[in-house]
Amino acid sequence: MSSRRSRQSLTGASKITDDQIIQLLSKLQQLVPEITNRRSNKASASKVLQDTCNYVRSLHREVDDLSDRLSQLLSTIDVDSPEASIIQSLIM
Amino acid sequence: MSASQQLTPTNPNSALKIRLAYRFLLTLNTLNAKKPPNFDHTQIHRRSHRVKIAAYASMASVVGPKRAWSRAILWKIRNRGMLARNKKRIHRISTPIRLHRHHARRRRNPNRVVHVDPFVNSGLEVKLRKLVPGAETIDPCGLLDETADYIKYLATQVEVMRNLVDLYSTI
Repeated sequence: MSSRRSRQSLTGASKITDDQIIQLLSKLQQLVPEITNRRSNKASASKVLQDTCNYVRSLHREVDDLSDRLSQLLSTIDVDSPEASIIQSLIM
Repeated sequence: MSASQQLTPTNPNSALKIRLAYRFLLTLNTLNAKKPPNFDHTQIHRRSHRVKIAAYASMASVVGPKRAWSRAILWKIRNRGMLARNKKRIHRISTPIRLHRHHARRRRNPNRVVHVDPFVNSGLEVKLRKLVPGAETIDPCGLLDETADYIKYLATQVEVMRNLVDLYSTI
């Protein structure tokens, strides 16, 4: 894969092989949850890309929303309390 | 102790979650240690902005400089003071890439029947380039790869944050 990419940069033109594109599109299809149950042959490239864009946008919105909630919760909890140390010991 | 059990992950996704969660908590801790919590509304808004930056920063620093999106995020965060001051000097360079791609299309072998060009509708490509950080100057094939990687880490980070919110709200 990396050798193919270096060849691309050498020629200057973005000579994308079809296999690479199909491979990457299937990878995207696996990651985006809405379209995983559709048959990969039928899903068009533009639909996959559109769903990917929507998914990334929804993830950004969720990060905003979750950080709002987290900041509200953090303002009501003292982080140096024993609960925080419990959380940290769980993660570690 | 349950901590030792959690240190042996059964699949790579939970290992990733643990790394992201650890880094995120570290960042949150330093963020909280700096300023004391207070209930002023503007302070809460500013704090949520800082939490958001901490989320992206911890996600990008777990990946390191290996990926274009993580490099872009880290650069943006480190230089956000400079970026806020010099907004006019930043220019978008997406147009030359589109011209470049049209050239490549003309040179393609006309005998090839099956063409899988995912960016037939170039509006989608531009949208994707705007959504994924650092993706404005990547070739279209690398763009898909970066998007997949970015989605993977972003989804895991969202899961970590969701778990944290649940954990904090039940305490």
